[in-house]
Amino acid sequence: MALRGVWLVRPEPGTALCGSVRFSRRYPTVEKRAKIFNGVSYVPVPEDGPFLKALLFELRLLDDDKDFVKRCDSCSRINKTSVYALAIGGEELWPVVAFLKNGMIYASVPLVEQTLSPRPPLVSLSGISQGLQLLFGIQDFLSLGQKSDSELNTKLSQLPDLLLQACPFGTLLDANLQNFLDNINVASVTQPQKLPAWKAGTYKGKPQVSISITEKCDLEGIMPNVTISLSLPTNGSPLQDILVHPCVTSLDSAILTSNSIDVMDDSAFSGPYKFPFSPPLESFNLCYYTSQVPVPPILGFYQIKEEDIQLKIAVNLKLHESVKNNFEFCEAHIPFYNRGPITHLEYKVSFGQLEIFREKGLLIWIIGQKFPKSMEINLSGTVTFGAKGHDKQPFDQICIGGTAYVKLHFRILDYTLTGCYADQHSVQVFASGKPKISTHRKLISSDYYIWNSKAPAPITYGSLLL
Amino acid sequence: MGPLSRETWAHRLAAFRASPSAFMAGADGENLGRDLLSDLRNEKQSEQTKVSLLALSLEYPAELWPNAPAAEAAATSLLDTLVLLPPRPSALRKPLLLAATTLLVTGGVLGPTSEASCRLLPLLLGLASGRDVGQGFGPISEQRPLRATACECLRELESCKPGLLGCSLGLLRRLLGQEGPVQPLSLLLALSLRDTLVAQSRSRAGLQGLLVSEISTGSGPWDWTLAEEGGAHLLPQAPSWPATEEGECGLAVLELTPEEARELRAVVAQLLDTSYLLTPVAQAQLLWLLGWALRGLRGQPPALFKPQLVRLLGTGQLTLLHAVLALKAAFGEALFTAQDEALLLRRLALAAQHPSLPLPTHLFYLHCLLHFPENWPLGPEGEEAAPLLLGPQLCRSLMPSLLHEPMALLAHLHLLCLLCAEEEEMDQGQLQSPQQYLEELLAGMRQRAALDSSPQTLATVCFQASYLVASCLPGQTKVLTSLIHGLAQLYQARPMLAPHFVDFLDQVGPELGEPLKRALQQEVVSKPGRNEALCWHLQMLAKVAEGDAQSATLSFLQDAAAYCTDWSLQQALLRVCRALLQTSGGRGLASLLQVLARQLEDPDGRDHARLYYILLTHLAGPKLGVALGPSVAAPALASSLVAENQGFAATLMVQETPAPIRLGVGPRMAKGPLPVLQLHIEALEPIYSLELRFRVEGKIYAPLKAIHVPYLCPGRPAHPLFLPLQPRCPAPAKLEVQALFSTPAGLTCHAPLPPLSVNFEDLFLPFPQPPNGAEWSFFEGLWDSCLPKGAESRVWCPLEPQGLETLVSRHLEPFVVVAQPPSSYHIAIRLLPTSMLLLQLEAAQIDGVPVALRTDDWTVLPLAGDYLRRLVGTE
Repeated sequence: MALRGVWLVRPEPGTALCGSVRFSRRYPTVEKRAKIFNGVSYVPVPEDGPFLKALLFELRLLDDDKDFVKRCDSCSRINKTSVYALAIGGEELWPVVAFLKNGMIYASVPLVEQTLSPRPPLVSLSGISQGLQLLFGIQDFLSLGQKSDSELNTKLSQLPDLLLQACPFGTLLDANLQNFLDNINVASVTQPQKLPAWKAGTYKGKPQVSISITEKCDLEGIMPNVTISLSLPTNGSPLQDILVHPCVTSLDSAILTSNSIDVMDDSAFSGPYKFPFSPPLESFNLCYYTSQVPVPPILGFYQIKEEDIQLKIAVNLKLHESVKNNFEFCEAHIPFYNRGPITHLEYKVSFGQLEIFREKGLLIWIIGQKFPKSMEINLSGTVTFGAKGHDKQPFDQICIGGTAYVKLHFRILDYTLTGCYADQHSVQVFASGKPKISTHRKLISSDYYIWNSKAPAPITYGSLLL
Repeated sequence: MGPLSRETWAHRLAAFRASPSAFMAGADGENLGRDLLSDLRNEKQSEQTKVSLLALSLEYPAELWPNAPAAEAAATSLLDTLVLLPPRPSALRKPLLLAATTLLVTGGVLGPTSEASCRLLPLLLGLASGRDVGQGFGPISEQRPLRATACECLRELESCKPGLLGCSLGLLRRLLGQEGPVQPLSLLLALSLRDTLVAQSRSRAGLQGLLVSEISTGSGPWDWTLAEEGGAHLLPQAPSWPATEEGECGLAVLELTPEEARELRAVVAQLLDTSYLLTPVAQAQLLWLLGWALRGLRGQPPALFKPQLVRLLGTGQLTLLHAVLALKAAFGEALFTAQDEALLLRRLALAAQHPSLPLPTHLFYLHCLLHFPENWPLGPEGEEAAPLLLGPQLCRSLMPSLLHEPMALLAHLHLLCLLCAEEEEMDQGQLQSPQQYLEELLAGMRQRAALDSSPQTLATVCFQASYLVASCLPGQTKVLTSLIHGLAQLYQARPMLAPHFVDFLDQVGPELGEPLKRALQQEVVSKPGRNEALCWHLQMLAKVAEGDAQSATLSFLQDAAAYCTDWSLQQALLRVCRALLQTSGGRGLASLLQVLARQLEDPDGRDHARLYYILLTHLAGPKLGVALGPSVAAPALASSLVAENQGFAATLMVQETPAPIRLGVGPRMAKGPLPVLQLHIEALEPIYSLELRFRVEGKIYAPLKAIHVPYLCPGRPAHPLFLPLQPRCPAPAKLEVQALFSTPAGLTCHAPLPPLSVNFEDLFLPFPQPPNGAEWSFFEGLWDSCLPKGAESRVWCPLEPQGLETLVSRHLEPFVVVAQPPSSYHIAIRLLPTSMLLLQLEAAQIDGVPVALRTDDWTVLPLAGDYLRRLVGTE
């Protein structure tokens, strides 16, 4: 369950090495064990230079991407996990856990406590999940509030010290690196009371419980305890696929078994969903859920007809009457992929206004804060495209030919689609003092697509087969 | 000397990190370790610099202090630095402890004889147990933050020397019960508990009260004996599953008394009860440790873990669910009923696609599903398979989609293939069967790959998916037919994917490969080859061109030849010709090659065309196939150039092999103008075009002509072979024999055979028969002519009277000039080039025959004497 090393690599296409190692940390005591455990199959962790090169090659991030390379592109070389074997000096370093996220490759090499030939299945190696978890932790730390390069550099410079705390010998103690940053609200650990390891100290501020339910329209959500109950209105769609934060101390079996895979019936558990937990210091996501609401909040259709170089488009949107007609914002994005720039557009909208991004081949229909009284709006028009440039126009691997979509972006405050809410009075806090309790709800669109009904669309929903 | 400046150090450290080996090999390398230690103790050096120096020694101890004495000295120096720190809070204490620990482990000096070990260990244990360890660490309240660090150091030492803390179990347990830091103590206790259990079971000892007493033996808290036993083979803290099946860590042999079992249960329960206070990753470590420690141990019901499971299953946290799977693998049905197993699968399936989890987690869960540790697995171990309880319903919730990332798409696709394989025989009347879904998905992937500007990865994933389908569903004709059709269309749309097609054809079996080849060949030759895709078409044809539809292919090539203007195109064209040569050939190809040999601009191309033409017209089919086929000598060479060259070399050059032939000398034949050796030959395997070459040592015969045999087959009698000899002097000789032949595989081989002996008597030739009645005078004339130039001798041959007649009739019959059987014979032997040997055997007596010899060449005399003695000896 230990790690032999951790790397952060930034791919920099076009430079001499096509990337640079931004951070690395080795664990020599673990390396020593690896040498004994792996025996003749032992491959030492290389220096940063060779590691960088091998990693970029394996992830196909070297500049010679254009041609078919048998070692990477052969059809029989199927990798279905984020675990790779790096070719280093005629040998293969394995397992290397790595993934690319926001322009950074996160990589670690877990210790395998046995010989590597034959390779044991990943599922039986504890280091794989530990290695991934550390990388997720580092990624969370780096991405938290980081926008500019200088901020990234500051965070990177904090990493050696943070890893000294979180993973001093290669065995991960806590993946939440934020816990190790000095926190002014945290008293130093001098109390003799038993503190959870994920709590760096005790909270010294004003006691408060802040609950925010965010529902996303591809159906997810966020909530925070002590004991919090989530309730649904009568006839609300049951919450499913509930994943809770590890600080939740117990779970009702009905919560555990409620999922979107089984066929639902009327007897499905519909709450209240109780979550007893002991909160960590920072704000956190208590649980995620999905739900199968019977009606989408905004119904619509999208039709495209291709005539020579022109496209005739028609979009019709209708807000469901049960949905709160008060948006923070609502927009419909209509992209045209794999075509040239928009050279000409004639259109008619019944409501809102249309913005045109000619070079990007994109129309944005700004609907605003409210749908009109009729709850129904439409857009029709004719788009003409210019000749296709080489690399400038947007490429999409799905939207080929008539396959196209309208994507809706919206946010509604103080509303959830499921009706899910946390009653302030149902929050039980077992602590001295009376905390302030506040609750918020919101609905945010996530992947809300309306596909062109005149052409094939990628099917994602497995139940269509049933 | 003052300390180095911060900038100097920063520069030096950066140079070191860029390439430690290069830095250490440089001029500055030698001093780095020494400078580092001295600056750590220098009060003028800033704390920040010291921290970065310690960070370096944590990561590269073996480079800085490469041998045991250096590591010991460095660890001692670090410990000195530690105790000399002024009694105020300092950021250095923690990294100093870590660095000293690291040094002891990596330097291999941890042991009872190491002074640094004997200083560090009590210090760590003192800190871990919250005792006052001295002024250097400030007031005891300042020492508290170091407790966790000390525990971690001890855990690392225990990991590298399992069993080291075996005698401290009781102490650790008490500390955990008191106010100590929960996580470090829990993990340390769990690890040393597990190590102790394994070590004791190896030595077949019980726990001997280790769990209760504070310090159980007189040797103090360190058990170096246990550690030595453990150190011989490190213990996997979380052994991988199949390895453990073999009983590597089996603890079943450990005999615990009821009290010991009860105590052990209490410790485990204590650890598990407080486990929720640990971070998720540490909880997972604890579960791996305890699960595998208690597996199969009597009196330790796995039900102890049960209260934790519901809590763990509720999270989607990677390490926790993984640890639950480890428990599942360790205890199977004893901890998870069939219903539990179904629930666990459901949670996994749910987490494998939950929108709140990142892609690598999804992928890992999908992997876990295909390697799920089932209670009652059906398939062979180690193979990817959908667990039985996953069922079609759950599978269908995990359908692949074009919107997935490539890796996720492949993982989901694999599940779909398994589902299709299962449902093969089931009702096909559904509205949309999984097969149909699969076909649509593949069609979508091909459509993406066919896009003009689509990146390499989309094509790669399309072919990977096709390969996955081909290997998972080999018998499903319908799926494969549509796959072939679709791929042929994809090629039509985007010929530049030819390298992918070639690779695909290399990987799949003939079931799919053969029809796909035909479809692709059809696709290529159906259109005139004169566009920009020509190079791809040629690359494709080189792979798929075969005997069938030759004429279409040839006319395509003839058409294309005019457009092959540059070198690479010409080479591609020639490669197709070569492929055709290998499989079929034919008149059409010959004329195409002739045209190419004249027309191609590039001389190398013309040469190649001519070579192929010559090969085609001169070599028979099988030989041609071998000549052009993959090299026998080096079949796995990556470079096609080298491989081709080696292929030619192997075939067109002669191979040295052991001889599959036996050659022997047959009976002597004394007639004709020259002595002739009769040879008997026998083949051990079929050989063609045998040529036997002979060489005489010492040039005493004229050079011998080779003998040719067209065909030899084992078991079929061969005609005798005749080897005429032309002696330059009448002497016996040894003949070196070499065989040159072709094998049925078309290789030309060369084999040395054992040498053949030519005896003196093999050179005998008779004189021409004199006219009737003149025999006596003829012999007399010869007899007299020998002297005075020649030599004369007499030999006594111990033969019985009848013996003489037999001897003569067997060995000397052809040479007898005058005979008066049974007592008198006059024999004349001609020896090439110009000698003769005359014998008079007369007046046989009871115990022998006197033989008079005469020769005109005195060198023959000893040979003749030897011959007669041998002759008599054999009779």
